[in-house]
Amino acid sequence: MVYSSLLFIYGFLPVSLLLYYITPKKLREMALLFLSVVFCCLISLYFLIFVVVFAAVNYIFMHLISLSRRSEKVAAVPLAAGIIIDFIAVFAFRTEYFTWLHRMIRAPESFYPVGISFFVLGAIGTLIDVYKGRIKADRNMVRFALYIMFFPRLIMGPLLRYRVFTNILNNRRETLSGMGVGMTVFIKGLAKKVIAADNLYMLYTAAKSAPVKEISALTAWLGAAAYILCLYFVLSGFADMGTGIAYLYGLKFPQSFNYPLLSTRLRYFAARWQSQVIQWLRRYITKPIYGVCRKRWMREAVFISGWAIFGFWYTVDINGAVWGAIIGTAVIIENRLLKKKIMNFSGIIYTFLTVLICGVFLSSDTLGYSVRYLFAMVGGNGAIADAQGFYLFKSYIVLILVSMYASTDLFRNLMTRSGRGKAKKVIMAVSPVLVLAVLMVCTALMSYSGSSDMLLMKL
Amino acid sequence: MNRITSKITAILTLVFISVFSVFTFFGKKKDFSVDENRPLAASPTVKAAELYDGRTAERLDSYVTDHFAGRSRWLVGSTLMQKELSESIVNGVYVSRERLINAESDLKSEPASSADIFDSFAENYSGMVYFAAIPTSAGVYGDVLPSHITGRSESQQISDLYEALDGDIRKIDAYNILKMLKDNYIYYRSDTKWTSYGAYCVYKTVIQKLGIIPTTYDKFSIEHVTDSFRGNLYNRTMSKAPRADIMDIFEYREGAEVTSCIVVRRDGINAEGKIFDKSRLETGDMYSMYLGEPVPVMRITTSANTDKKLLVVKDSFADCFIPFLLQHYSEITVVDPSVMSGGMSKYVDADEYEQTLFLFGIDSLGDRKMLSKIIE
Repeated sequence: MVYSSLLFIYGFLPVSLLLYYITPKKLREMALLFLSVVFCCLISLYFLIFVVVFAAVNYIFMHLISLSRRSEKVAAVPLAAGIIIDFIAVFAFRTEYFTWLHRMIRAPESFYPVGISFFVLGAIGTLIDVYKGRIKADRNMVRFALYIMFFPRLIMGPLLRYRVFTNILNNRRETLSGMGVGMTVFIKGLAKKVIAADNLYMLYTAAKSAPVKEISALTAWLGAAAYILCLYFVLSGFADMGTGIAYLYGLKFPQSFNYPLLSTRLRYFAARWQSQVIQWLRRYITKPIYGVCRKRWMREAVFISGWAIFGFWYTVDINGAVWGAIIGTAVIIENRLLKKKIMNFSGIIYTFLTVLICGVFLSSDTLGYSVRYLFAMVGGNGAIADAQGFYLFKSYIVLILVSMYASTDLFRNLMTRSGRGKAKKVIMAVSPVLVLAVLMVCTALMSYSGSSDMLLMKL
Repeated sequence: MNRITSKITAILTLVFISVFSVFTFFGKKKDFSVDENRPLAASPTVKAAELYDGRTAERLDSYVTDHFAGRSRWLVGSTLMQKELSESIVNGVYVSRERLINAESDLKSEPASSADIFDSFAENYSGMVYFAAIPTSAGVYGDVLPSHITGRSESQQISDLYEALDGDIRKIDAYNILKMLKDNYIYYRSDTKWTSYGAYCVYKTVIQKLGIIPTTYDKFSIEHVTDSFRGNLYNRTMSKAPRADIMDIFEYREGAEVTSCIVVRRDGINAEGKIFDKSRLETGDMYSMYLGEPVPVMRITTSANTDKKLLVVKDSFADCFIPFLLQHYSEITVVDPSVMSGGMSKYVDADEYEQTLFLFGIDSLGDRKMLSKIIE
C-alpha cells in the first residue's frame, strides 16, 4: 500500500484518524505504533516481521553500545557490527548478490522492503550518535520502534535524526488548523505524484522506448527533462505526503525539498535537493573527514565524494555515483569561477540545464548508454527532430511547462508578497475549495487502477 | 485568518473523505460492472499464507478500487482529464473523436511462435485446413499513432505467422482486404473487433477459398439491432468521445434455415443455442448478441442443400462471421478453445469434417496456453 492509493486515502486514513483521536492523549504514541503495525501488515505480514526484527536488532545494538561506552574501543565492536548488519540489510535487497540470503530468511518472491534506504540510514545515524555520546540510548521501545516504522515516513518520507524525531514527538499538538495544513500538504504531494509525476513518466518511457541509436535530439531532450522533473515530483511528492500525514497526527515534520530544480545557482540546488539525506551524509561521513583535511582541494575532493555517495545511494550502481560526482564537481567549479552574483534568469537556465544533463547518468543503467544518450541529445544520430519528437512535444509541452513552473518557488513567493491586500483574502477564501478540487482530480486519476505506485527508483 | 482557512480546509477534505469512505464500505455492492463489462472483485477473506506475502493487501486494494463509491463516474472524469494531461492515451487506449484504438500490445508471445500448434493439427488431420488471422482495429487504423506506441505492426505479425505455417495450410489474407476498405464501417469505433460488414468482406474471400460461390451483398436484408453499442475499448476508458456503434444482423431470407443449434455449455451440459440472441443487447456485453454467451462447442445444422460439413475453430472475432457460412454447409461445428476445459478432442472428432477453418484475431494468437488445447 502506498499513500497515493484509494485504499490508503479512503480506507486506512479515515479509520486511523478516528482510532487515533478516540484514544486518550497519554496513549497516543502507542496508538501511532499500533497504526504503523497495521500499515506494515497491509503491505505484507512478512514486511512487518522484517521491520520489527530490524528495529529490535538495532535497539539491542544501541544498548550494547551505550553499555560499553566507558571504553571507546570496546564500544566500537557493537557499533561496527550494527552498522555492518544494517548495510547488509540494504544491500541484500537493493543489489542482486544476496539471493542466498533471501532464501535463508525465507523472503516471499519479489519481496522488497519499501523505504529501506531511508530507515537504514536513520538506524545507522542513531547508532553513531549513541556511540559519540550525542544522545542517550533511549529505553523507550515504543519510540524507537516508531522511529523505524512510523508509517508517514516509511515510504520515502523525510529522513530524520533520532533526536529530531523525539523532539517532534514531544512537541505533539493536535489541532484542527494543524490538520488543515496537513491535508493541504498531503494533497499537494498527492498532486505532485498523480498529476505531474505519473504523466511525466509516460513521456519518459515513450522517449526511451526507441533504441538509443535512433532517437532524435528533440525526443532525447524531452525524455531527459521528463526524467528529472519526474524524479523531483516523485521524491518530493512522497516526502510531502508523509509530512502532511504526520501533521494530521499533530507531528510537525520539516520539509525535504525546498524548490531545488529551478534555483539560480547550482550550489543552491545542491543545498535544497533532498536536504535531509544530504545533511545526514554531511553529518556522519563528510564532516568528520573535513576536520582532518587542511587544504582546500582536499576538502573539495571530500565534497565531491560525498555527492558520489549520495548518487550511489539512489541507484546502488556506478551510474548514480557518476551522477553525484558530476554534480559535486560542477558545484566546486561554480564556486571557484562564479563569485559574483549571477542574473536570476540566466542562473536558472544554467542550473536547470546542468541538472538535466547530469540526470541522464542517473536515469540509465550503464555508462555507455548515458554517453550514447548524450550523443543523441546533441543531434548525433543525425536528426534534430522527427515525427515522434514532434508528437511528444505537442502532447506534453504544456505538462512540462506547467510542472516546471510548479517546481519553482514563484507561486509561493507570490502568496507571501501579496501581503494583507485584497488578493490575499481572495486566495484564502478560495484555497479550501481548491484543495478539495485537487483531491477530487487525483481521486479520479487513480480510480482506474486504484493506486499510483510507480516509484521510479526503489529506495 | 490563516487559521480559519486551515480549519475550513480540514473540515472540507476530511468530510469528503469520510463520506466516500462510508459509501465505499457500507454502500450497496455490485458483483458485475455493466459499464466495464467485467466481474468486480469479491471481498477478500483473510488467510494466513496470503497475509504473509501480501496477497491479502492486494485483494483488499482491488476490492476497494472496484467498489469505490461512484466508480463509473470517476472513470469518466479520469478519461477526460487524462486526455488533456498527456498524449490522449488512457489506460493504454488512444482516445480520439474518430475512434478508440488499443495502444497497448497485450500479446503474451509472438503469434509466429504458435505456428507449430496448427502445423501439428494439420499433420494429423485428413481434410483441408484454412487459416484466417484477423487484424484488430489497431492494425488497420493504428497508423494515426506514432510508431513507438504501435510497436511491431499487426500486418508484420500476420505475415510472419503465415510464413511460419506449413505450406499445406491455406492462408487467407484478411489484412489487405480490410486495409483496402478502411474508409468503410468495417470496425467498431469503440471495440477492437470488426463489424458484420467487415466480416462480410472477408467472408467473400474465405468462402471462395473454401470452393464455394459467396452470397452477394444485395441478397441480404440488414437489420440495425442497436445504435448504442459500446465495446471493449469503451469498457477500459469509459470514453464517449466517438459516437456509439451500430450492430447489424445480415439475414439471407430466401436461403437455408437453421434447423437445430445445440451448444455444449461450459459446465458440460447441452442446451439450445441461438445464432442471434437479441436478449443479450440488454446486458453489458452487447457483442455476445452474436452466437450468445461464449461456449466451448456449438453444433449448427441447416437446411442447406448439400452434405458438406465444416469445423470452425475460433475466438470472439468469428461470432459475427459464422452467420454468413450457414448458407453453404449442412452442418457447422464451432469450437472456442478459450472457454474449453481440457483439450479439443474431448468435444469433437475433427476427422468427421472435410474442412477446418481457423479464424482468430491476431491478439489472441499469442496465447499459447489457450491455443495448445487444440491439439490436446
